[in-house]
Amino acid sequence: MNGTSAGPTVPPGQPTALLEVKDLSCRFGGLLALDRVSFALQPGEIFGVMGPNGAGKTTLFNLITGVTPASGGAVCWRDEPITSLPPDRRNRLGMARTFQNLRLFEGLSVLENLLVALQRQPRSSTLAGLLNSPVHRRAEAQRFERAWQLLEELRLDGLAERQAGGLAYGDRRRLEIARALATRPTLLLLDEPAAGLNPTEKEGLAELIEALRSRHRLTLLVIEHHVPLLMRLCNRMAVLDFGVRIALGTPEQVRRDPKVIEAYLGGAA
Amino acid sequence: MDVLLQTLLNGAAAGGVYALVALGYTLVFSVLGVINFAQGALFSLGGYLTYLLMGGHISVSGGLPGWGLPIALPFAAALLLAAAGAALLSLLVERLAFAPLRRRNAEPLLSLITSLGAGLVLVNLLQLLMGAEGYAFPAGSLAGLPAVVSLGGARIRSVQVLLLLICAAVVLLLTLWLEGSRGGRALRAVAEDPTTARLLGIDSDAMVRLAFLLSGALAGLGGGLVGVSVSLPGPYFGIGYGLKGLTVLVLGGLGSVPGAIAGGLLMGLAEAMVPSGASGWRDALAFAILFVVLLLRPTGLLGRRLVEKV
Amino acid sequence: MDCRAVQRHAVQRHASDSGRSTDAMIDHGLLVQMLIGALLGISVYLPLMAGQLSLATPAFYAVGGTLAALLSTRWAALGASADGRFPLPSFLLEVLLGGVLAGLLALLVGRLVLRLQGIYLAIATIALVEIVRVAILNLPLAGGAIGIFAIPQPFANAAGYLLPALALLALAAWSCQRLESMPLGRAMAAIRADELAARCMGIDTTATKLSAFVLSAVLAGSTGALAAHFLNTWNARQGSFDVSITTLAFVILGGSRSWLGPVMGGLLLTALPELLRPVGDVRLVLFGLVILLGPVLFPQGLITPALLERIGGFGRQEAQG
Repeated sequence: MNGTSAGPTVPPGQPTALLEVKDLSCRFGGLLALDRVSFALQPGEIFGVMGPNGAGKTTLFNLITGVTPASGGAVCWRDEPITSLPPDRRNRLGMARTFQNLRLFEGLSVLENLLVALQRQPRSSTLAGLLNSPVHRRAEAQRFERAWQLLEELRLDGLAERQAGGLAYGDRRRLEIARALATRPTLLLLDEPAAGLNPTEKEGLAELIEALRSRHRLTLLVIEHHVPLLMRLCNRMAVLDFGVRIALGTPEQVRRDPKVIEAYLGGAA
Repeated sequence: MDVLLQTLLNGAAAGGVYALVALGYTLVFSVLGVINFAQGALFSLGGYLTYLLMGGHISVSGGLPGWGLPIALPFAAALLLAAAGAALLSLLVERLAFAPLRRRNAEPLLSLITSLGAGLVLVNLLQLLMGAEGYAFPAGSLAGLPAVVSLGGARIRSVQVLLLLICAAVVLLLTLWLEGSRGGRALRAVAEDPTTARLLGIDSDAMVRLAFLLSGALAGLGGGLVGVSVSLPGPYFGIGYGLKGLTVLVLGGLGSVPGAIAGGLLMGLAEAMVPSGASGWRDALAFAILFVVLLLRPTGLLGRRLVEKV
Repeated sequence: MDCRAVQRHAVQRHASDSGRSTDAMIDHGLLVQMLIGALLGISVYLPLMAGQLSLATPAFYAVGGTLAALLSTRWAALGASADGRFPLPSFLLEVLLGGVLAGLLALLVGRLVLRLQGIYLAIATIALVEIVRVAILNLPLAGGAIGIFAIPQPFANAAGYLLPALALLALAAWSCQRLESMPLGRAMAAIRADELAARCMGIDTTATKLSAFVLSAVLAGSTGALAAHFLNTWNARQGSFDVSITTLAFVILGGSRSWLGPVMGGLLLTALPELLRPVGDVRLVLFGLVILLGPVLFPQGLITPALLERIGGFGRQEAQG
């Protein structure tokens, strides 16, 4: 656990952290992209990560989701170390992510993008599928029903048959969120969800995220460049600079932290 | 002792030829990122052209039985001309199998098929002309060279020594040219980063053609050398060398020049070490080595690691 | 291209014996040959559905064929006799066993090679084909370079093979079509579209790619067992690098966005050299020209997504574009 006083008070001996990152480091050749970063996520909170370009935010996401191997430190899920698990296993534990530069299954339709993510909701055997057995047909019906729910929730139902690659930018961002939600995550990681959105869409984003959190009982980890959005949305946040966590606390505490002002807010002014 | 030396030299000679073929692949791969599967057919072409230029005649089963060129060049001249011929044909392969797809930004996979098609056409045209059975170069092809030389007590076929020396010279020249000359540096610049190279005023299309020209010449040289040192067992013989060259290419890591040379020698020596009792398995050895190396190092011995950007 | 010579010989043999009994205008031997081509085309297409270019199909084809050739000539319990007909159940059992053995081999090898990406995978599978070819060549019972002769016949003539070949093709096509509306097929399409994103969506990409590889091998193995009987003779050359080229050409020319593509490619390109037989020795040159010019003229293959749209989505794979 990190020693910062800003975190919610944790009764001793009671495991409450959903995800804990301990001294996480990542080295690319000679470059230390992430240097012993630590923090813990409490169930139900919205946790923001901010920092200037190249601060290591996306690297942090890649290490948490298993896309990039860690050079040091540990990632724990409900107090179990998962540092060596591949991305698909971590997803099945309950974490799902979006990508900063959108990685949809472009050639597939919007609906099919969700059906891919729904392949275990519920599970059905390959043999049942090949034989098109009643078990398989029931499972398929459930998958379609769930896919349509998500499409409606994210206002994509009118685009179900369109190719994902041909959608407008804002629709693609929402489709990525829908696809991640389809895997039934406990923790949703959003990598710059506001990037490329127009002001109206940005305005709606905070409400959307808040709504998704309560409806799907999510914990959220959000990387964002758009500082006002993050300040409004998050319960707590961490600030990265050159791979080092320079601050951790409530938006109010972070805003007043002199190191943050110097490295990030001050540097931008 | 002398047996060992003989084995090593045989292996090195074969390895030199594999290195030539692999270097040919490497040149094209480094500028285009694709593999020219017509390389093996150009290898065959080099062998047959050398044979014809040295005054060889077409056998009774060929398309023009008994026909031969009215000239009989010495081996060195015939080999160089054959390499030039293979180089020109390599340019044609580029024009037909690669250029149209590149202009259209088509999937790189397609050029694999088109170059295979070009190779198939070439090999079968050779077969139509020359017939399916093998040719041996006439005795005394290497006038003035004793058949066998003594080296430290070992008796070694002099043609093997010659083959090894020529391969070494070609590889050395090519490396020097790539490192030292303007043209070589331009080629490497295109291989490193085509966009920047274009900004620097390098004509990348010309470099692509140059790469094909050189790789064709290397294949032609290899074919002629193998022809004179062993024989021409049939128009398909180059395909086998092409496949071996491919394994060498991967062994050394795609696009790596030192890797291609090291991989070639390694492969030749390993094959020479196979005891004669197990010679039936020799052809599988190259591929077995490749298989194991790929599993241990998925990008080849000296290849660069592929990192996906997220 | 010795294998083609053997195939041609078989086609001629079957053509002459079937010509007497049935309509001489229909060359049943060629039809069976075409169906075998279509089956091998689907075998190459299956890993491609998951974005994996594997050229290993001929290795599994050779394994299935060699197994059938050995069993039927060496194992008397299957019912082969010098004069009598080979029992049909034994033939079907061999087709099944050929698929099973090839599938087991694929399961073993696939775990290793499927870690490789792109062109490295393609080259590793070429190596596999060569290793299997040399292994069969050196197998004590397989007759060396000459191979195994006089493989017993379950049918009176080539026409007899039409039904089992068609049944196998129907089964393969049905499976491909089914895959598109079930989790495995969707996972394959997702990997083809974006492997990393697929992993982050919880898809076990290793298992998915392995499934595609094994399905492809089972189909090739069964096809090999059928082909060994049909061709009457079998040797190591049946599964060589040439076959890698030709079967890949089936998929490229037919198109790789639907199982219809490799089927059409397999049918056409197998028929082509035979239809070109009147032009004699030039036919392989022309065959090469087709492979050379086909992708230039039809970059998406003959069966394109647009064409599939027009004919109502039949055989359409989910991944398009």
